[in-house]
Amino acid sequence: MTDVLFPVISEAEDATGVIVTWFVESGDKVTPATLIAEVAMDKVDAEVYPETSGVITLVVEEEKEVPQGTVIAQVT
Amino acid sequence: MTTTLHSNDQSLALAIEPDAGKRKLSTAKAIQEAISQRMARDESVFVMGEDVGPYGGIFSSTTGLIDRFGPERVLDTPISESAFIGLGIGAAVEGMRPIVELMFADFFGVCMDQIYNHMAKIHYESGGNVRVPMVLMTAAGGGYSDGAQHSQCLWGTFAHLPGMKVVVPSNPYDAKGLMAAAIESDDPVVFMFHKGIMGLGWMAKNKRSIGAVPEGEYFVPIGKARVAREGTDVTIVTVSLSVHHSLDVAERLEPEGISVEVIDLRSLVPLDREAIVRSVSKTGRLIVVDEDYQSFGLSGEVIAAVAEHDPTLLKRVSRVCVPDVPIPYARELEYAVLPTPARIEAAVRDAMAT
Repeated sequence: MTDVLFPVISEAEDATGVIVTWFVESGDKVTPATLIAEVAMDKVDAEVYPETSGVITLVVEEEKEVPQGTVIAQVT
Repeated sequence: MTTTLHSNDQSLALAIEPDAGKRKLSTAKAIQEAISQRMARDESVFVMGEDVGPYGGIFSSTTGLIDRFGPERVLDTPISESAFIGLGIGAAVEGMRPIVELMFADFFGVCMDQIYNHMAKIHYESGGNVRVPMVLMTAAGGGYSDGAQHSQCLWGTFAHLPGMKVVVPSNPYDAKGLMAAAIESDDPVVFMFHKGIMGLGWMAKNKRSIGAVPEGEYFVPIGKARVAREGTDVTIVTVSLSVHHSLDVAERLEPEGISVEVIDLRSLVPLDREAIVRSVSKTGRLIVVDEDYQSFGLSGEVIAAVAEHDPTLLKRVSRVCVPDVPIPYARELEYAVLPTPARIEAAVRDAMAT
């Protein structure tokens, strides 16, 4: 199992961001080429791709604010 | 099924409206992907406009393109719409396929001579000898308190003037296929995306702005409406963000036994009059929902299309549009004039009462 983290965008350690869009649902098969989410911090958007292939489970809901580095999904 | 949208290059055979598959994108990303794939295939395609480079377009229509194709093919321009739209027309008549972004449709005033006297008329005035294969891409629509000069749809204004195709997608799948078709068209195409369908994090959340999009290239034919939802009691003819609102209303009314058919026109020019007539022939009740100004525009044209075909088809007709006032800045006032789901629902109930 590998964790998918909210990307570290800011130099401020306690910076938080939101998941703008989940492009996949729990149970979907993903690969490192699958765009799984778009996240935003301040006005900077970032795309999230998993590091490994497998079945994804989403951990954090859309629009929820979390600190960068938080586990937002898991791939098994 | 495959075909070519223009006949001088047989290598361009692409699928037409393939199965959507499972991969999801936002509408903004779908537009980016269409442009990127056409640019990779055809060196004559390039992008130009205000903040289309490192910024990626203020509504994210061109994000990432400059990283892949560089500043020679993704050109940030000065704030002079008349100059850079003219530059695009010049490039197009010399055989290139520019995609020129006019940041807001509202800004057309300063560059309209280039658009309607040159871009739209060169093919005609040259006796058919000179083509203008250009895409004029522009952001439209309101709902986010941007005021009277940044919230207009104005697609009826462009559609009124001959010589331009006018494309108005509502979802990621159509946006990608229509953008590919627009780039490939040998005619000038005005590609108008509503900001509310782009899937942007800073706009109102809209689940229908995220959807399945094929990874490969394909065309959605320009001028062909889509039955977004089948129904038997009332026909709603609409475009863009109002398609989403109409579908929401249709879903909400279904448990009450009210069956609403929603026609997404997808383009104003050409207008798919047959699709409109076909649906109204079935339901007899027509509601046109349009976020553009009510008078002298799309809504009147859609109703005329039915009336000219057979006025006896119409048991009931109404429209839900922006009354003929500037779009207010104040949120409550803005939402009082926009074609909201509440106004659409009231129109459907009214139609069913008669």
